[in-house]
Amino acid sequence: MPSKRQLTVAAGYVAAAAVYIAVGVWFTDFLLSFFVALAYLLLVVWLVPAGVRRIF
Amino acid sequence: MPLLLGSYAPDMMSKWFVYGIHIGGWDLKASDPVQFHRGWPGLGFTHSLLYGVVIALLFWRVLGSKTWAVSFLIGEWAHAITDTGDTVGTMLFFPWTVHIHFGAWAYAGQTGRMTDAAAYFSGPGAVWDLVWIVFGIFSWRVLTRSYFEQHVFTADAFWGRANRVVPIAVLLIAYRAAFFYGTCRWIAWSLWAHVVHHYPYDISWGGPHWVNAAHSPPLTWPQLLGIGAIIGAGLAIVFTSRLEFGKKSWAAIRSKT
Repeated sequence: MPSKRQLTVAAGYVAAAAVYIAVGVWFTDFLLSFFVALAYLLLVVWLVPAGVRRIF
Repeated sequence: MPLLLGSYAPDMMSKWFVYGIHIGGWDLKASDPVQFHRGWPGLGFTHSLLYGVVIALLFWRVLGSKTWAVSFLIGEWAHAITDTGDTVGTMLFFPWTVHIHFGAWAYAGQTGRMTDAAAYFSGPGAVWDLVWIVFGIFSWRVLTRSYFEQHVFTADAFWGRANRVVPIAVLLIAYRAAFFYGTCRWIAWSLWAHVVHHYPYDISWGGPHWVNAAHSPPLTWPQLLGIGAIIGAGLAIVFTSRLEFGKKSWAAIRSKT
């Protein structure tokens, strides 16, 4: 079974996925490239949390 | 990373021209998208086993990495072999230009990106993708940080070199991104096709049949015999190599004891 930390990380990715899917359904060009997905993930899973931690 | 690169390699340079793009006042699109994508003359050789071997050998020679060569080969072969599942198939044994195809789902690339997406995510192809997504979810441990650090990072010097430039958190995200992209893409296109646009599902063999699919001609008996001979020869080579490898390994063990 996954640990609590692993489930927390997974929940973060699921939340990121929900936003990615919502944008993609509305604007399908967003789904075209793996590199767009990679850039999106780096932004929402790394840069934004790092920025929030820095501010607070 | 080379596994991912290999899996993307067959379509990387060609798919945009199959669907067509609009730049300024110009429309750039292949006059015969099916021929261009999977055929010869065209870029269909990118979906052959030989193409994977050639690029893998280049990786081995130029980068000096057997890991990159073998990983790329596995990724490229996986794409080339699974694309035999549609109604056009691939020239798996190029330069032999026969199209190996099982016709399980409709090839509709010539209809344009949106109709192709609607068709793919309405037929057996989408079910095939879903099998791999479920398999990936059940294998969730390979996506954990500990698995990445213990097995993936240590297996390829690329990660160590990349770690000198970016933190390991970024490498971990890059590692997970392919599964994230594939899964989200499947869900998004399925929602687009069936919730937003109400395309009907048709998961019967060769479906969906509401789309104008392209088809390769059926394989003749001589072609089937030829394919059987090639596969048989390949298996014989693998079996013989394993026998020789086994002998050498045993000799190495005996020389040490």
